[in-house]
Amino acid sequence: MESGIAMDLLALARGPLLWLSLAIFFAGIAWRLYGIFRFGSKPVLSSPRRTALASAGFSTVFSRMLPRRGFHPSATLVTINPYVYHVGLAIVVFGYLPHIDFVKRLTGASWPALPDWVVILAAGATIVSLAMALLFRLTDPVLKLISRADDYITWVVTMLPLLTGMALIAGPSSSVHARETVLYPGPLAIHLLSLELLLVWFPFGKLMHAILFIPGRAQLGMFSARRGARS
Amino acid sequence: MIDYNVFREFGTAISHLGEMAQKTDIPDAERVRLAKTVMLSKIDRQMAVDLESCVKCGYCSEACHFFVQTNEAKYVPTRKLDLLRRVYGREVSPLRFVRRIFESEITADELRQWQELVYDSCTECGRCSMACPMGINIARGVNVMRESLAAAGLAPDELTAVAQEQQQRGTVFGVGPKELEAAIAKLRESGLTVPLDEPRAEVLVLTTVIDILLFQDALLATVKIMDHLGLNWTFRTGGFEAANFGLLSGVEDLQRQASRKIIDEAIAIGAKTVIVPECGHAYPALRWEGAAMLGKPLPFEVLAISEFVGREIKAGRLKVKDIGTRKLTYHDACKLGRHGGVLEEPRAALRALGVEIRESDPNAEMNWCCGGGAGVFLINRAAGLRQKAFELKQAQIDATNAEAVVMSCGSCRLNFMNGQVNTGWPVKIESLVELVGNNLRN
Repeated sequence: MESGIAMDLLALARGPLLWLSLAIFFAGIAWRLYGIFRFGSKPVLSSPRRTALASAGFSTVFSRMLPRRGFHPSATLVTINPYVYHVGLAIVVFGYLPHIDFVKRLTGASWPALPDWVVILAAGATIVSLAMALLFRLTDPVLKLISRADDYITWVVTMLPLLTGMALIAGPSSSVHARETVLYPGPLAIHLLSLELLLVWFPFGKLMHAILFIPGRAQLGMFSARRGARS
Repeated sequence: MIDYNVFREFGTAISHLGEMAQKTDIPDAERVRLAKTVMLSKIDRQMAVDLESCVKCGYCSEACHFFVQTNEAKYVPTRKLDLLRRVYGREVSPLRFVRRIFESEITADELRQWQELVYDSCTECGRCSMACPMGINIARGVNVMRESLAAAGLAPDELTAVAQEQQQRGTVFGVGPKELEAAIAKLRESGLTVPLDEPRAEVLVLTTVIDILLFQDALLATVKIMDHLGLNWTFRTGGFEAANFGLLSGVEDLQRQASRKIIDEAIAIGAKTVIVPECGHAYPALRWEGAAMLGKPLPFEVLAISEFVGREIKAGRLKVKDIGTRKLTYHDACKLGRHGGVLEEPRAALRALGVEIRESDPNAEMNWCCGGGAGVFLINRAAGLRQKAFELKQAQIDATNAEAVVMSCGSCRLNFMNGQVNTGWPVKIESLVELVGNNLRN
């Protein structure tokens, strides 16, 4: 890529396209949440067996993060794999120094970074884990039957920033942090564009589960607690 | 003691139930319209969250006895909500403008295809929700699907026949006030006082067609317990049937009508407590949904008989003999346990009897369903599927090495007995209320 074109593309990706994708991200999330929560709730008239419903809902939000006994293990229930890519993504997004610098430039907020080797290991594990998730989806009869375009689009937009980000790594993150100039404007622009694609898709697909898991789990926890059962 | 010949005759009789259904010919377009109307009327905030949340992980399949026993992908629980998701997505979801372009309208053929998924292969046991990382209440969605199919004239003939009988004649399997009176006359022959149609009583005791026709010992045991406690109680001919085929078939008007009969009787006699017999779905129908049918909180408490018995034993008012040495396991019926919270009281009753309780693994909220609940026991075409699901239950009970399995749900008991007849399973099947009622101590 010609360096002039690359710089122009980077300016676009760092400027108007970033702001546009962030606008779609936040407005889309707000619209989708409004569209869900605008529905009313019928009052539940039966007398509850337990009254501490809010705390039961709150605890279910967290307890559902843990695997539980009582289910048959099988190919579809690969419990380790989702943990790998969820934890891995969190480490890559929030633990890598250039990402923290990026957030700091946008918001002013920053926090300590994780060592590069931890982040690179997490990114590698996440890529492998996502590839396995796709393999399961394409081969397991249950997952094949229930999968929709959303599942595959979401996989692509999640994988792209990881791959384009890995392609950018050419030295320790501290040197990127210290440097004023961008060494590889073209690849960085592509990485940013892949992130922006993810931000744009987020409100429209199943990535919204990153938010919806909270009300979903909480309402089931409250439903069960009201009836005196654990959820 | 159950007479298995009577049980077989009962089985033969219910195998002809479907022939009695009055069928209505509805054009396909009208079926779709009716189903969609029900679906859309049931969308509230909780349902919207549930329909938006699925990440298609497939975990729910591993929680479902019908999937685990058949390994057929079509039974994965979350898929059972797909038509509901599409109607919601196209009509009222926040992304409806986009989803209308990419998602097609539901069709009558799909509604017919979904009959097997929401009736034959789902007991609304709710175990799938225990596995769901998003906490989706799939059983509730399946219930909405049942209501939608019923509105479209696509409920199974067997459930339709009983629902029509309950709605039009006020009887279930031909059992009405006269049959109750006859059953009570028989109970009185044993010398017991059996109050019937008392104008005022603190406790209204319900029974069910299954107890009147088949499990008369459970009915007798209930009377013994009430007599032992010396309570001011009664049966009422105007509202004795706890079974609610409106709930099972998905006909809300009938559900309301059947619940109101009981509620109105309880209010008329000033009852403070209504006791539901060993009938799984009857408990949530009144305990959890009765108030919605009345439109305000119920002015009395509703207790399952197993809950009542356990509570009275724990309070020291009901005394039982120590029958010792027996090794028993307790089967938590889904509607009482996972979806009802009646978990500790039945075990308290068994402990008081001094037996060795051999818990199954898993148990309580995670227990496996027997495969016959939510009316599935009555659906003829589901017989093979039901038996496969039951075999999972059977293996679970066998692993406890218990000599008997105790339960407090007539539907479960019927399904266990059916499985026993099919396989010659040697484990005894017992009712909790009978165990307690037959071992009272003065």
